[in-house]
Amino acid sequence: MDFLEFVDHEKAKLALILNLIEPKCGGLLLIGPKGTGKSTLLKAFKSIVKAFHVPFIELPLNATEEALLGGIDIEKSVKDGKKIFQRGIISRANNGFLVIEDINLFPLQLLSLVFEAQSRSEIVIEREGFALRELSSFQILATMNSEEGELSSHFLDRFGLCVAMNTIIDKDLREDIIKVNIRRDSKNISQEELIQKIRKSKEIIKSVKVSDYVQNLISEQILKEAVESHRADIFLYHTSRAYAAFLSEGTVREQHIKDMIPFVTFHRKRYILPQEEREQNERHEDKSGENKEENFENSKRNENRGKSHESSNFSTDNIESQEFQTFKRQEVFSIGQAFKVKRFFFKRDRIKRQKSGSRTKTKTKGRGGRYIRSIFSKTPEIALDATLRAAAPFQKIRGRKDRVVILEEDLRYKEKERKMGLNVIFLVDGSGSMGVRQRMIEVKGAILSLLIDSYHKRDRVAMIVFRKDKAETVLPLTSSVELAMKRLREIPTGGKTPLTKGLFEAFKFIRRLKLKEPHARFLLFILTDGKANVSISGKPIFEEIKMVCNFLRQLTLTDIVVIDTEKKTNIIKMDLALRLARMLNSDYVLMDELKTDSITKLVNLYKNSQESGHININ
Amino acid sequence: MQIINYYINRQNEGGALLIFPFTAIVNQEEMKLSLILNVIDPSIGGVLIMGEKGTAKSTTVRALADLLPEMDTVNCRFNCAPQGPFCTDCLEKIQKGENLEIINKKMRVVELPLGITEDRVVGSLDIEEAIKKGEKRFSPGILAEANRNFLYVDEVNLLEDHIVDLLLDSAAMGINVVEREGVSFVHPARFILVGTMNPEEGELRPQLLDRFGLCVEVYSIKDKLLRVEILRRKAEYDRDPRSFIEKWLPEQRQLAQKIMRAKETLKKIEIDDDIISKIVDITAELNLDGHRADIVMLKAAKAHAALNERDRITTEDIRKVAPLCLRHRLKRLPFEDISQESERLKEVLSRI
Repeated sequence: MDFLEFVDHEKAKLALILNLIEPKCGGLLLIGPKGTGKSTLLKAFKSIVKAFHVPFIELPLNATEEALLGGIDIEKSVKDGKKIFQRGIISRANNGFLVIEDINLFPLQLLSLVFEAQSRSEIVIEREGFALRELSSFQILATMNSEEGELSSHFLDRFGLCVAMNTIIDKDLREDIIKVNIRRDSKNISQEELIQKIRKSKEIIKSVKVSDYVQNLISEQILKEAVESHRADIFLYHTSRAYAAFLSEGTVREQHIKDMIPFVTFHRKRYILPQEEREQNERHEDKSGENKEENFENSKRNENRGKSHESSNFSTDNIESQEFQTFKRQEVFSIGQAFKVKRFFFKRDRIKRQKSGSRTKTKTKGRGGRYIRSIFSKTPEIALDATLRAAAPFQKIRGRKDRVVILEEDLRYKEKERKMGLNVIFLVDGSGSMGVRQRMIEVKGAILSLLIDSYHKRDRVAMIVFRKDKAETVLPLTSSVELAMKRLREIPTGGKTPLTKGLFEAFKFIRRLKLKEPHARFLLFILTDGKANVSISGKPIFEEIKMVCNFLRQLTLTDIVVIDTEKKTNIIKMDLALRLARMLNSDYVLMDELKTDSITKLVNLYKNSQESGHININ
Repeated sequence: MQIINYYINRQNEGGALLIFPFTAIVNQEEMKLSLILNVIDPSIGGVLIMGEKGTAKSTTVRALADLLPEMDTVNCRFNCAPQGPFCTDCLEKIQKGENLEIINKKMRVVELPLGITEDRVVGSLDIEEAIKKGEKRFSPGILAEANRNFLYVDEVNLLEDHIVDLLLDSAAMGINVVEREGVSFVHPARFILVGTMNPEEGELRPQLLDRFGLCVEVYSIKDKLLRVEILRRKAEYDRDPRSFIEKWLPEQRQLAQKIMRAKETLKKIEIDDDIISKIVDITAELNLDGHRADIVMLKAAKAHAALNERDRITTEDIRKVAPLCLRHRLKRLPFEDISQESERLKEVLSRI
């Protein structure tokens, strides 16, 4: 498909063109859901890039570190008895574009290497008896579908520009998106003409001027957008120059800066609103429900509760009233103490292990992971460097002529290791239907204890809260105490109980991560009283929940524990969480018998029940 | 050892990467100071730089290369100090009664890339030598290169555990002992560890944290004028790096000379008992474990005095360096805000 035929994505097209004009624009990240033509656009762009003899190299998802950075050419090395180097993908992308599709699905390890090489404009290889440095400069063109996972802000910051591609673009909105309209041009210019125009721009840009006033404006605008990274200023500077050049103008004007701001700030803004703002928003949302809620009276409580106990089909209103005092207002609770003085003795037999072999043991075959050292015992992969080293001293004796003589006794194998931490996910009921306060404090405490405990940065923790009408990932999977502190400090609670949404969110969350790390293990804690009262499909709630539970049960390498938060001392208990646990075929624990530190203990119990820590893949 | 300079499509001739000048980095004084103190006295033990993205962490460390002084070293593959300790090669020479050749070498910033393998950290058998001559010769790794130099690890918190173990091991012993593939080799491995990290990306192991002499936190600059200045300089550099470097050369020289003078002054500085007791007061008051904090603080204060061309340490020196030395050593309870601790530090410092 022709690049110019892409009518709807003016911003993306412009960003690509600017990157071609000025490599210092720093690459482009295209964010958008499936089917918005991200990949097709990049492919179309390739034909333009070709005209400039600029490399356009794609990074495949299964690329190994060797393939990325370069490594030893095994065939030649064995033949010649010398280490022969083979260029890597990054090296081939030098002075051109490195294309990373679905960048959020790539292993972090690999991405760190890519960005490391980019930031130092040099590839440094120190591996397998090889030391090599190579100058390298490249721009990254990447796509991501944000539904499939996040990219850390740290990585996002490395991209010069970012454009969101949407399926439906508001017509009016589109018009003021950008002043220059390539589409208008595209009606009367051909691809060849566009190439000419870019060529001309590449000339013009050398003399494009930026006045002091405009430079001031750049920093001022970036600060105004509440973007902190200094990279934003620098990328805005270069992008505006490229833009001016593309418009055949010799100086950067205020308007150019204004047009370019969204490109550099979109991915650098903080999307998590400061607490106050967030609360304001939520308060606003809440208004409709509030009046109704106030009508509930204490006296109605028991009556309602009895009713709901009898009916298997949960209506939405009656359960809400049960703890009317908590859900009427938004409450934000502090983070609980990590190490309680009071030691709760965790009774192991409390956990009902109903499962029979539904868990798959970690299969450690495969070629992934990281080469740690060479060993004698046989594994699927030969460690060439070590084998050569073992054979090397004997070459004279063995009468080497034109090739290295390798005997069986020389063979060494790769011992590989993959980081196999446990991913602990807390799915927490944040609704107003229960004594939320204590639970939130304790969960937060447990999360932080876990993180502080796992100083080997193996374990990671995430937290999803469901309340009102949505489930929200409050804490993305992290091993950072710092980040957890920041994100957990204030979690609003109160509202209805969309349990289905929560379960489904957890399912999606785990499945997403499984794409990235198929061997990762998960431990899902579901903290709820099970009193679901929001249906997503209109079907009876527990039917709906049952469906989602079936999904969850099919997840491999995932343990689920339901922690029942219902107060069992109440006269009437509903044990709905127990019902949930049965549907999930999961373990079941009572919150009352668990205190903060024992959640941590519980996690450790699961950890130790399988191989923990590092797992050999071979 | 072969380092293949495999430069393709080079933009800069000359073989070296162009580096943004240290002196042209705007603000971030704490980070710059802590690096300079380490150049003046390498035994301070390095710096950990913690900060958000886009705050010139890496740029600053890499820029340090320009300012590093020359040092006397044995002409061997391991930068042995003339007074020892020595590597296996040098020891053999000494045993044979040969003289060690002493040369002048510039200190370097050696980088440890994230994807490094174990054999390249510690070194291994030189394959080519072995194949051609049938000799077992040791091919040095990064630890050898880093001896008496700066060892820089970008995103140190993302480093693989088994590599961290190797680093800790040799950092503790000061030597690298290699026993692999039939080669036995020992060489000194004393390096100044410099690491950068973004705490939001993950924690650092406590043992490794303690290895860093100093610790600084960097933030992005919110002041508009400073921000404009940063952009101005960076834009100027991007336009024509060579002229920019040229333009900053006098400043660079001046700072380099200042550091050289400080290195000389350092030798003359006497330490009063009064200063020592003040330092111990601080660490005792803050309940710090171990004595590393005291020692580092004394050394850093001394280097700071030398930098300011004084031959004795003042309370002001201590005040200035104490946060650098103690930031990562303050016992932080899990839910205690960091600001509380720094308040306490401030309060303690104001009393000395």
